[in-house]
Amino acid sequence: MIKCQACDREQQPRLLCAQCGAPLGAGLDLFAALGLPRKLTIDPARLEQTYHDLGRRIHPDRFASKSVRLRDASLRATALLTRAYRTLRDPVSRGLYWLELNGHKLADNNKSVPADLAEMVFEVQEQLADLRVARDGSGGEAERLRGAVDERRTELHRMIEGGSRELVQNFARWDAHGGANGAGRDALVMELKLVLSKIAYLRTLIRDIDRELDSAQAA
Amino acid sequence: MAYSEKVIEHYTNPRNVGSFAKGEDNVGTGVVGAPECGDVMKLQLKINPENGVIEDAKFKTFGCGSAIASSSYVTELVKGKHIEEAMTIKNTVIVKELNLPPVKIHCSVLAEDAIKAAITDWKSHQTPASAQEPRKAQES
Repeated sequence: MIKCQACDREQQPRLLCAQCGAPLGAGLDLFAALGLPRKLTIDPARLEQTYHDLGRRIHPDRFASKSVRLRDASLRATALLTRAYRTLRDPVSRGLYWLELNGHKLADNNKSVPADLAEMVFEVQEQLADLRVARDGSGGEAERLRGAVDERRTELHRMIEGGSRELVQNFARWDAHGGANGAGRDALVMELKLVLSKIAYLRTLIRDIDRELDSAQAA
Repeated sequence: MAYSEKVIEHYTNPRNVGSFAKGEDNVGTGVVGAPECGDVMKLQLKINPENGVIEDAKFKTFGCGSAIASSSYVTELVKGKHIEEAMTIKNTVIVKELNLPPVKIHCSVLAEDAIKAAITDWKSHQTPASAQEPRKAQES
């Protein structure tokens, strides 16, 4: 239970006081901050609307002339709300957060990636290595390699978008069976982890590409 | 975190770096990746089809020092071993040899997986049916 700084009402943790509407927001998980159930499926339109609606009601401008405690509560609640919105808006960060919230670690029992993905990543890393070598030599080859790596990057971004869509398409199914205990639930968590770690692996590769192309430009 | 002397030794002087010619019948290739850190490792084993002994090994790894050292060490470890024996190699052997800290254990798991993947790949094109087809056609 927490106590509202404005009206002293004791209540369960939530973003706004149930009695007077003053900002509370202490000790909330990000789903609770937005008043959403802990589910993977989120309607984007509803998320936007809730975020803007709550944001208006706890906005620091509204509390500028109020007590220090209330002004402070408004700032903290606003920061929490923004973090919740940013995390839950993106299917990938939402999935990762959901796992964490439910006590699962992405890397547990999940140490390897599918062979075709590993092979693709290996190919790109070889291209990056070639680019590193070519950069010290004459220009033409480096230019060609840079173009090839840049194309790969576009392709990788597309794969990540595909992964995001795969998440969204499966969220409802995972939610529907997520309540079950035992092996069925574990299998679903594993499915979610596989898609998320594939995306994480691709993001790491893109980061390597970004670094290489940036340093190639700087050189 | 400091790398152990053995990791540094393998890292600065890696054994058996490179690859065998593509499509060689007696070569099994395993490419494995770790989503956690972004590392990727390719291990190739040249296996004698007559007696199933690993005659040569090559690797190429993009990753941290521990991943490179793990795969470098593995190429030495498997040479001369029968494939069935190599299949039983556990990552703990690599951890012990290289003094890997807990945060780097996944590098040794990756190397263990690479051995299994390479042997499995070799076996997959040793069967009479597929041995007659060129390997390239199977992959695409």
